[in-house]
Amino acid sequence: MSKMVQIENLYAQIGEKKILKGLNLELEEGKVHVIMGPNGAGKSTLSKAIVGHYDVEITEGTIRYKGEDITNEEPETRALKGVFLSFQNPVEIPGVSNAYFLRTAVNAKRKFEGKEELNAAEFLRKARELANELGMKTELLNRSLNEGFSGGEKKRNETLQMLLLEPDFIILDEIDSGLDIDALKAVSEGINKLNDGKRTFLIITHYSRILDYVKPDYVHVLKDGQIVKTAGAELVEKLEAEGYAALGES
Amino acid sequence: MEERTLKEILQNHAPKLPLPTKKSEPYRYFDIEKLLGRQCKWTKAQKTAPKQGKSLEITDGVLTRIPQNVEVTFSEERELFSEHFDPLYFVSHALSQEVITLEFKTDTVLNIEHKFEEKGALRAYRLVFKVAPNVSVKIIERFVECGSQESVVLQGFDLFVGRDARVEIIKEQTLGNDAYVPIHSNFIKVEKQASVKLFTFDFGDGSGLELVDAHIGEEAQVVAKHLLFAKSSAKRGTVSRLIHDAKGARSEQVAKNILQDGARGIFDALIEITHNGAGAKAHQNSSAVLLNDGAYMASKPQLVINIDDVEASHGSTIGELDEDQLFYLRSRGIVYEEAKKMLILAFANEIIDDVSDKAVVEAIHLAFERAYYGEGQLECIATCHNCEDMVLGER
Ligand SMILES: Nc1ncnc2c1ncn2[C@@H]1O[C@H](COP(=O)(O)OP(=O)(O)O)[C@@H](O)[C@H]1O
Ligand SMILES: [Mg+2]
Repeated sequence: MSKMVQIENLYAQIGEKKILKGLNLELEEGKVHVIMGPNGAGKSTLSKAIVGHYDVEITEGTIRYKGEDITNEEPETRALKGVFLSFQNPVEIPGVSNAYFLRTAVNAKRKFEGKEELNAAEFLRKARELANELGMKTELLNRSLNEGFSGGEKKRNETLQMLLLEPDFIILDEIDSGLDIDALKAVSEGINKLNDGKRTFLIITHYSRILDYVKPDYVHVLKDGQIVKTAGAELVEKLEAEGYAALGES
Repeated sequence: MEERTLKEILQNHAPKLPLPTKKSEPYRYFDIEKLLGRQCKWTKAQKTAPKQGKSLEITDGVLTRIPQNVEVTFSEERELFSEHFDPLYFVSHALSQEVITLEFKTDTVLNIEHKFEEKGALRAYRLVFKVAPNVSVKIIERFVECGSQESVVLQGFDLFVGRDARVEIIKEQTLGNDAYVPIHSNFIKVEKQASVKLFTFDFGDGSGLELVDAHIGEEAQVVAKHLLFAKSSAKRGTVSRLIHDAKGARSEQVAKNILQDGARGIFDALIEITHNGAGAKAHQNSSAVLLNDGAYMASKPQLVINIDDVEASHGSTIGELDEDQLFYLRSRGIVYEEAKKMLILAFANEIIDDVSDKAVVEAIHLAFERAYYGEGQLECIATCHNCEDMVLGER
């Protein structure tokens, strides 16, 4: 089985606060990996480190993607190569139209891949179709990016970006938090649509609600800045029943 | 023809008029003494018979094209506003033998193209816009540099707006690195229940100043919106005074400033409500984005209120681009420079999108892009006849 992502001995901090402490993690091509862990364990920090967020300073260790060291790569380069993070709290950008933003992003990627860029009409057709599938009001395409969007609308918009960009490695940070059941189903369907046995998913959750709809292959537990356990899907139930404390030193 | 410093020329030809110094209020953030020390040629403008055109065209201060839809007259007589705050307002009047007067008696849309072709010259000319009561007028002024490096332009309009008339003036000026330096000195008088909307779009590397002295009549309104994108070592911006001297006058002034490299933005703007200004509404706001450490914004919105019964506010913010927003765009594969531009445009769009004419909006976006990518002046120096095709709103 070939590896999509290999994270080795990763130490990362935000400001003076040391958060990841020698984290090791391997993600397989075509598999759905889940990371669970208590609040404040460093899950979002890990996802930010992978996409090159400026908050996170990596002091030691490497992140490999498709065999290539991307630890110090620019964020846009990682994105163009197929790394995607659905943010826990997507930022609002007043004055930038959502449709314009989406098209710019899609065409940047197409250009990078040597494909022809989509014109406005082609793009809109595609975006509307996908938005409909997600149960997202197409009116949101004409609004400013995320501005005044509800929590559910923001998550749907993140999912729309994922569907449009068709990334190879998809990190979903708490995509299920704050979603009603319809939104959760719609977002899950979006994920399953892209789950074609080639892409790799890293689903970060601490409610595990989404796992009723998306079947994980592996479950990892992140605690105190390290992966402390890796198992199959059955671990989810065990964690739900017994909590993280039950893991002990296992 | 004489070649001397600008100061000597002005002293010679307008001997009775005071010149600004670095201590003059309107020029306190602008390097006026350096400009006055500049060597210039001064020749009397040679009048030629203007041709017909789609837009009104003024080349080096001389009327060269007239469209059919306006009435143009020339006169040595003029109605000066004797209390204008800008000394160069009087100087520009004194140096221009004639004023070009446009009378608007019916609803009109007019493009004015100001072209500057002569190098190292002083150009002084004045326009008068007279808008009849009840009439609606839109004037789109574009300033085009065609090889006029090192020149100085003293120019501006006196705008008289009749009762219940509506006027929208949109000015766009992109200045290259060694462009002419414009001092636009304007006077606006708005009669009862009339309204004026003034937009200024100042882009590029060059220095210049827009000075506006406006008097707002009873129940009348002035809206002034200024978008500045200055680069290199430009000192550029707006100095204004909006006076409410009658009941129920309203004013709204918004400045958005984007400053790159070592540019200095100027927004030195006073709104004054006299004891006659009961029921005034006055709102003023300036915001600036500094793209570099060396960039600087001189932002001085001021309200002077001499009466109780008014609604007024003012504010000023200066900051950088939002890092989270930048990162979000980059994380979707949009490269840093492009992401930065998207955010700058988002900031600027609030003013650009307020222009009523979609074709003009498009043209301003283009001008902004050219200024952003540093191609602002090339087109014209290379092929000046192209200018004609680039009239705002027709591109
Ligand atoms: N910007 C920040 N500045 C300081 N501390 C932070 C910042 N972001 C996160 N932290 C801290 O880092 C730790 C890990 O946070 P995070 O990665 O968000 O955890 P999780 O996503 O697992 O809940 C927490 O203790 C949190 O308070
Ligand atoms: Mg988190």
